[in-house]
Amino acid sequence: MNENRKQVLEMLATGKITADEAERLIAALENDAAAGSLDGSENRPKVKPKYIRVLMEDNKADKMAKVNIRIPMQLLRAGVRLAALIPDVARAQLNTHLRENGVAVDVNAIKPENLEEIVDQLSELTVDMDAKDGKVRVFCE
Amino acid sequence: MIPFVAVVGWRKPAHKGFRIWIPLIFVWLLLLPIVLLLLPFAFAACMVARMNPFQTFATLWRVLASLGGTDLEIVNGGGSFSIRLF
Repeated sequence: MNENRKQVLEMLATGKITADEAERLIAALENDAAAGSLDGSENRPKVKPKYIRVLMEDNKADKMAKVNIRIPMQLLRAGVRLAALIPDVARAQLNTHLRENGVAVDVNAIKPENLEEIVDQLSELTVDMDAKDGKVRVFCE
Repeated sequence: MIPFVAVVGWRKPAHKGFRIWIPLIFVWLLLLPIVLLLLPFAFAACMVARMNPFQTFATLWRVLASLGGTDLEIVNGGGSFSIRLF
């Protein structure tokens, strides 16, 4: 018996929900499980993207411009580690300026691990901007 | 692994474009003696700035090593420029 179903039955036993509500919850859990096994999302390992792609298009009538950049995620990871090289004097100045501008962030508290976590989360990032004269797309691949 | 080849492409509007393969391995080999000569100065600069020189060099090496796979393409009107690192 899975954890969610057990929880529903415990709620029913303690009288927190009625039998009808418990039945509906269990049916919903079964539907979720079936949908998960159909698309294989439960078993499929999450593929880590290798690159971040930035596409910019400027479709003005006279001249079309396009920029296409592919940056390896590894380079982003290495890049964020550069933050660890900021000298202490510069960090203190940075903190002062941030505080003066109302940003309550202590740069000393940001560790490379935190920045790497941010890079990891970028894998789910998609930016899609469409305008009259152009568009911008940022995604991971 | 550091990139060993760079492919640079260039095309002017209404002109035939060209593409050059640059074997970066030779560039690295040429730069190596210069880097070795500058190393003591870089080390001293790190000490003055109160930075860990080993951490600094390791980070810079990591950046260099992860450049492979970088791809940049700019198209403007009929002209274009591209650079790809392998």
